[in-house]
Amino acid sequence: MKQHLGRQSGVQNVEVSLIDGKVEITPKEDGQIDPVQLLKATYDSGVSVAEMDVTARGKIVKDSSGNLALQVEPNRSFAIVANELSKGLDSLVGPQTIATVRGQLYKKPPGKKQKVDTSVPLKLLILEVEKRE
Amino acid sequence: MNKRVTLLLLLGCVIAPVSQAQIKHVEMRVEGMT
Repeated sequence: MKQHLGRQSGVQNVEVSLIDGKVEITPKEDGQIDPVQLLKATYDSGVSVAEMDVTARGKIVKDSSGNLALQVEPNRSFAIVANELSKGLDSLVGPQTIATVRGQLYKKPPGKKQKVDTSVPLKLLILEVEKRE
Repeated sequence: MNKRVTLLLLLGCVIAPVSQAQIKHVEMRVEGMT
């Protein structure tokens, strides 16, 4: 799995902890990494992903429906799930503010083992707002 | 000297937008690993 993930685009380093089933991925300097691709690659290597958390730096924007999203690249953004922490991001919408947040991008639905459904866009559940610039 | 400062400023303008937004770290919890 380590080798498989290490071959994915934008991945600099992969650390796997067999004891607690934790996989840490460090993106390359350009940060152009695709979480969906990582989910697929992990599944393809024979294990299922229970949860995926990311720390990302980006602009807080509003999509066409008026929902908050974190834009991490010009052509990649993640819709933000509304919670108590996301309410505080409303005031940061705009091109001037960059926020660093930690959030959950994927959580396996309860129940039987199943393949990651990559047809559904990933949504970011904010766990912590680390920095506002 | 002024040329160097100008060059540094120009480089900063080019590099800054790239470093502004990015995924910095990914952590997964996986199941079924042996």
